[in-house]
Amino acid sequence: MTTTPMLEIRNLHARIEDREILKGVNLIVPKGEVHAIMGRNGSGKSTLSYVLAGREDYEVTEGEVLLDGVNILEMEPAERAVAGLFLAFQYPIEIPGVATMTFLKAALNAQRKGRGEAEISTPDFMRAVKTAGEKLNVDSDMLKRALNVGFSGGEKKRAEILQMALLAPKMCVLDETDSGLDIDALKVVSEGVNALRGPDRAMLVITHYQRLLDHIVPDVVHVFSDGRVVESGPKELALELEAKGYAGFDGEKAA
Amino acid sequence: MSAGPVLKLTEAETTLVAQLGARGAAAEAERLLGAGLPTRRVEAYHYTDLRQLLRSVPVLAEAGPATQGPLSIPGAVALSITNARVGPIPTLAQGLHGQKGQGGVLAQRDDVLVRLNSALAGEHLALEVKGAVTVPVVIDRRIEGAASHAAGAVKLFVADHASLTLIEVFSGSDAAHVGNHATAITLGKGANLTHITLNVMGPTATHFATNEYHLGAAAHLRTLVVQAGGALSRTQLFPTYEGEGATAAITGLNLVGDGQHVDLTMDALHAVPHTASKPLFKTIARGRSRAVVQGRLVVARNAQKTDAKLMAQGLMLSDEAEILTKPELEIYADDVVCGHGSTCGRLDEDHLFYLMSRGISKSVAETMLVRGFLAELIDPITDETVAALLHTLIDSWLER
Repeated sequence: MTTTPMLEIRNLHARIEDREILKGVNLIVPKGEVHAIMGRNGSGKSTLSYVLAGREDYEVTEGEVLLDGVNILEMEPAERAVAGLFLAFQYPIEIPGVATMTFLKAALNAQRKGRGEAEISTPDFMRAVKTAGEKLNVDSDMLKRALNVGFSGGEKKRAEILQMALLAPKMCVLDETDSGLDIDALKVVSEGVNALRGPDRAMLVITHYQRLLDHIVPDVVHVFSDGRVVESGPKELALELEAKGYAGFDGEKAA
Repeated sequence: MSAGPVLKLTEAETTLVAQLGARGAAAEAERLLGAGLPTRRVEAYHYTDLRQLLRSVPVLAEAGPATQGPLSIPGAVALSITNARVGPIPTLAQGLHGQKGQGGVLAQRDDVLVRLNSALAGEHLALEVKGAVTVPVVIDRRIEGAASHAAGAVKLFVADHASLTLIEVFSGSDAAHVGNHATAITLGKGANLTHITLNVMGPTATHFATNEYHLGAAAHLRTLVVQAGGALSRTQLFPTYEGEGATAAITGLNLVGDGQHVDLTMDALHAVPHTASKPLFKTIARGRSRAVVQGRLVVARNAQKTDAKLMAQGLMLSDEAEILTKPELEIYADDVVCGHGSTCGRLDEDHLFYLMSRGISKSVAETMLVRGFLAELIDPITDETVAALLHTLIDSWLER
């Protein structure tokens, strides 16, 4: 049985200024699956997430990224989001003066408009935010504040997952979602993510700690080193990595 | 008698000298004849060299028809000054009293715009507020007809513990008017005033306005000066904190587009102990334009415990835009908290990317961020109809 993967990355090379950071990434995430990317700091994991989302600072020099069969590399960041890609930021950006609710509504309606759907009514929108917020302990007080401004680390991450729930993307990329979270916050966020797993959605979870993967259990683990995937395997690979350290995998790559 | 003027007058100066003479202001005419309009060598006009920028001055305004201004606020008390003449004064809401007075309204000051207005303003609108007036008062200050020079004036007295929202809208026919307006406001003990001025003059007009404020004990003032119109504009704010416990949020917004020179200048005097102010001036500049923001805080020797923080923020939307900011602190007391800050830059790329990564198009994201930049100025305006008017004005500028 062959179906179109949700995300297919083919020989992706990217650089920032003169420095090549992604050096031929190959990766396939089928629909319905959750894949993890593990790698040490500086291996290019976060760059991969930014390149997928379309950040301008990076120049793609080679390769393709297919989202549900469509090459997204020529698209603007907003078009990629409309096409169903969502990046949960490692460091969500604080934007003073832009109310969280205003932002959520603008984002939701921009995506609906992009897909040729009607704008959501205000009561429907309020209901959707309330429902999504309850599961993630995001109260209305938080939503009344400016976007991410003065949010604690945990609040920022919960707000990211709230956006993900509301925007219902096809492909979720979670960049170091566990960073800055204590164990309780990690549980809430993981449960929020797990609730969004489904046959028509795929996820790519980027982390350098195995601990997140106890909560969000992946189908496949990829080891990332020096700008490419050097090893892929079942979830047990994460444990092996924890035991051996990344150095062992760098060696294998070199061999 | 010494012979002749020491300086060759510009066309604008020649006209002004003649107009002062015609209005019987011989001393002022003589002074202008000797000194001319201020140049960049005069500190307060360093970035707004009037001798250079004010090329010509049209004839003094004749009485024109009182017309409806461009912006109306439902339910507001509507007053007008057209071509420097006070319009008919309707029966006012309870607590409000208005009448026509003679002459100018500003205190003497070594400033050319103040002196010109005082010499040329034939009459003024005098308003008095007692108690809490809940409906906003709007004064339509228009210059109608062919290009003319108008020096209008308003005097407002807010009695002890009274409160009011006053909005002044400056507009006019599409001609090269020179408006030089004055507003003098006195706040009694515990009085509370929100004063909003909107400059929406036509694209060839020159707009000068001087707002003088005297704050009594425990009085609270909020100002918002919005400058969006005119080829050359300068609004001067002269607040004096005269009673202990007086506080003010002096705010201003310059919306500066291609070909415009817009200046917002504040010179504040904290004269007594225990007063506080937080001047906040924001500028958005695009096209080939120049914005000037000057803020001076003077703290008198006995004005201990003054708490004053001046902030200027600029947002540049083009390569050719220029924002010049000059903060000055002059502190003679030794137990105060005073400071100033200034930022200037473009829209933040990280902010833009974050919004776009959620599906919001670049142009919408930019608009959201610009509105976000301004939120700090508009959010404190609690009157919903007034806030809506401001949003409309800003949005139409952004879409221009």
